[in-house]
Amino acid sequence: MAGVPLRSTLAAGAVALALTVTACGSSGRTVSGGSGDGVLVWALTQGSETTFRASAKEWNKAHPDRKIDIQFFQNDPYKQKLRTAVGAGNGPVLFENWGGGGLKSYVDAGKAADLTPELEKNPRWKNRIFPSVLRSTTFDGKIYGVPANGVQPVVLYYNKQLFKKAGARPPKSWEDLLALVKTFKAEGIAPLAMGGGSKWPDLMWLEYLVDRIGGPRAFADIAAGKKGAWSAPAIRKAAGMIRQLVEAGGFAKGFTSVSADTGQAEAQLYTGKAAMLLQGSWGYGTIRTGASKFVAEGHLGWTGFPAVKGGKGDVKNVVGNPANFYSVSAQASGKEKKTAVSYLKDGVYNDSYVDNLLKGGDVPPVKNLDAELKSADNPDWLSYVYGLTRDADSFQLSWDQALDPELGDALLTHLDQLFLGKISPKQFCAQMDRAAAK
Amino acid sequence: MSAHSPTSHAPAARRLRRGNPLGALGGLLWLLVVLVPVYWVLVTSLRSREGFFDANPLAVPSSPTLENYRLVLDHDFGRYLLNSALVTAGATLLVLAVSFLAAYAIVRGTGRLLRWTFSLFLLGLAIPLQATIIPVYYLIAKAQMYDTLAAVILPSAAFAIPLTVLILVNFLRDVPDELFESMRADGAGHWRMLWSLALPLSRPALITVTLYDALNVWNGFLFPLILTQSPDQRVLPLFVWSFQGEFTINVPAVLAAVVLSTLPVLALYAVGRRQLISGLTAGFGK
Amino acid sequence: MSAPGASGAAGSRSSGGAPFVMAAPALALFSLFALVPMAIVGYLSFTRWNGLGSPSWTGSDNWREALTSDVTRHALWLTAKFMVVSWLVQTPVSLLLGVFVAGRQRYRTLLAVVYFVPMLISAAALAIIFKNLLDPNFGLGATLGLPLLDHNWLGDPQLAFYTTVFVVAWQFVPFHTLLYQAGTRQIPASLYEAAAIDGAGRLAQFRHITLPQLRYTIVTSSTLMLVGSLTYFDVVFVLTGGGPGLATRFLPLDMYITGFQSNEMGRASAISVVLVAVGLLLSLIIVRFSGFSRMRSQQAGM
Repeated sequence: MAGVPLRSTLAAGAVALALTVTACGSSGRTVSGGSGDGVLVWALTQGSETTFRASAKEWNKAHPDRKIDIQFFQNDPYKQKLRTAVGAGNGPVLFENWGGGGLKSYVDAGKAADLTPELEKNPRWKNRIFPSVLRSTTFDGKIYGVPANGVQPVVLYYNKQLFKKAGARPPKSWEDLLALVKTFKAEGIAPLAMGGGSKWPDLMWLEYLVDRIGGPRAFADIAAGKKGAWSAPAIRKAAGMIRQLVEAGGFAKGFTSVSADTGQAEAQLYTGKAAMLLQGSWGYGTIRTGASKFVAEGHLGWTGFPAVKGGKGDVKNVVGNPANFYSVSAQASGKEKKTAVSYLKDGVYNDSYVDNLLKGGDVPPVKNLDAELKSADNPDWLSYVYGLTRDADSFQLSWDQALDPELGDALLTHLDQLFLGKISPKQFCAQMDRAAAK
Repeated sequence: MSAHSPTSHAPAARRLRRGNPLGALGGLLWLLVVLVPVYWVLVTSLRSREGFFDANPLAVPSSPTLENYRLVLDHDFGRYLLNSALVTAGATLLVLAVSFLAAYAIVRGTGRLLRWTFSLFLLGLAIPLQATIIPVYYLIAKAQMYDTLAAVILPSAAFAIPLTVLILVNFLRDVPDELFESMRADGAGHWRMLWSLALPLSRPALITVTLYDALNVWNGFLFPLILTQSPDQRVLPLFVWSFQGEFTINVPAVLAAVVLSTLPVLALYAVGRRQLISGLTAGFGK
Repeated sequence: MSAPGASGAAGSRSSGGAPFVMAAPALALFSLFALVPMAIVGYLSFTRWNGLGSPSWTGSDNWREALTSDVTRHALWLTAKFMVVSWLVQTPVSLLLGVFVAGRQRYRTLLAVVYFVPMLISAAALAIIFKNLLDPNFGLGATLGLPLLDHNWLGDPQLAFYTTVFVVAWQFVPFHTLLYQAGTRQIPASLYEAAAIDGAGRLAQFRHITLPQLRYTIVTSSTLMLVGSLTYFDVVFVLTGGGPGLATRFLPLDMYITGFQSNEMGRASAISVVLVAVGLLLSLIIVRFSGFSRMRSQQAGM
């Protein structure tokens, strides 16, 4: 800085400042912003990202006048970003979501557009989608979102190499699982990988255990807001079994700080550091992306959640997400909405879209897929997921999505405490009852 | 305020030059604490993605690669760098301009309003910016400025005002009254005295606060996190953070992003270490 | 910005001091983004707002909930603990290092140059470094196989708290070291000479000269440390996100999570108000009982 006269520097600076501030101020963007002139779409990384990218590219090539501009976000920060952006009147035109209570808060605030009229106008579009899936986005008889990727049941993945080495078999019952924990610990391998830092993976254990012990009824009571529903025997017992598993050393060391967003838990599985992983079907895509050879050589195994002796729940029941959805912003202009709807109708789930989903291990919830399933290059996995979903009497939506966001968040906080042993199963039930009563 | 010149040299130096093995041991220990993470970051950023999993984490990579750096640069690094530069320059210039005016008025003025303003700024030192993030978000959203660089610049500048004013006031108070009086006798008004006298004299203090404010804004995280969302408006700290999410477990690439984002400041440190240090301890180091 | 021409004329016409208008832009900017938000946050703390719709008045509900919530109380307690532990860790380390690098030997100056590097790294980048470095599976400890380093640094609640203290210290010790270095270099050499003549050893000199002479520096550094750790957000947010469990959910984290993750902006605003109140109170107490203000005015006169 020495040598340049201070005052001329300052004068120049003042001019630059004025320019910067005005330039920045005037770049205030509306919903239609983004790098291009297209309709802004927000979606999640991992999972179906590859399909979304390919689809956007294909669409934009075919519709240069109705482009879409797709941006990707990590799962955990996504919810916060979406809310602050939409709250500031600066959200995307199309946004990915999970349906359920989360979407409902957008609907209540008048931020999501009613898609029913468009769907009614195009029965071919509507009738192709499994009606059960649309239930997650239907409020007061109106539909506010359509599925955008595949069904996402939660399954138990395992590393076949490690199982073979240990002479072990995938667990059929809770006792099997506990025995496997011992087996793998003796081998110096973490029995179960888990991204507990993100908290929601914890929930999959609770959901499955509660279902296996008490059947779908237990959660139905909770969802109905029944008093004391969180203290039902099934919840209490499930919470106790979670403690049992944690205390037995079932989860990989440090699981409470492993973020599920970064694919670390999956990496533990395919790098042979952990033997099993309870994860949604999107885990398959993550593993395939991270270690395609591992999958191609058939080292990845999968099975359903084990049974609990004396439990009421059918071992065929699954938990997870029926799909992720696209919803249209109610704040978007007429033209933007039109483009968005035409993309949803003709871009999403067209032939190449479905092919890409299947390639990534995603089974879209649309009818008449048998031929495609058979000709895909990973038919074992696809038919497994398809069959799992088809045969399940109960497909329970993830609780944090099904409940309203505030209670969902309280659930994750308390459940995390339970996994850490900071609170007992009894305290967990009592605290959740209190949170639900608010 | 300026770098500490070795005064009363000879005797002090004799004492200070005595050996101190215990101190040296402690000093070396902390050196390790500082250097090991830094070294690990550097060598890991030169590993390939596969090499990361099976190499000794502290060994020099057998086949170092700049691939990670290319990956980072290919991810619009330039744009984020530019955004960070714009935000930093905008906020720093803004805060300097208004604070210098205010400091001059506070030192050379007498009114009750001015005294009151100064007390307000002093009180403002204790307001944590974290505690205002919700209303600032509310304001920015209402003003239709959400997701613009200006949304980061304005509050960042506002929160830098109290300390900047305080430092400049302390400095201007040391300027002898006579200088102003003689200028006034020549018929100069306040704007001329500000421009031709106070400004040139304050140069060291201005450089100090510039560096202090600039570094704070450059490294700021919370305002960009809440007040912007699109990649177009992303600044470097936010980029590093979202990059780590996008690149799953590609640790070498993530660390390359860390290195690249720190490089500009490191370069500044290499060039103007003394000013930077006095800037960072600005107002406290005396 | 103001119009220099018009007000300049006014300024020169007034016989006495500089015109208030010169301070107006700073005051306006500061008011708009620091004072007005304080008023808004007060208002929001009495409303229910999920960030999407419009805030609706609910009276004192948020306050009752925030003040009786176990989680927020825990956050308050945790913040106090964090302040104390951080102070206990950072003060001795930076004081000793500062005094040490105040020596004029070349290697000590060189050490000071290196010590300073962590201050240049942004909080986000720094947290990412340690998050990866301490990763239980792929981090340094795990891959190096050193039992000493191989712990569940961020996954064990107890350990995660102290790990956070360490990472924050790693970032801020350089700054405080600088303060102490500068403070030590201002101690008149004559004091040491006199002591040496009296036959005082190094330790005695440190106790009877260095420490008392550094008292203002100690007060300054402690004030910054205490008030700073009250509002510490960035590193913790990226490093642990407040977890595992509630282990690092300090007050600012609690505010953020309540507001931006659970979407209870009203309750989060109440927590913000608590944060501001505690900050102001703390500053006032320190100023009152430490002679910080006297020292300031002394310095101003220097």
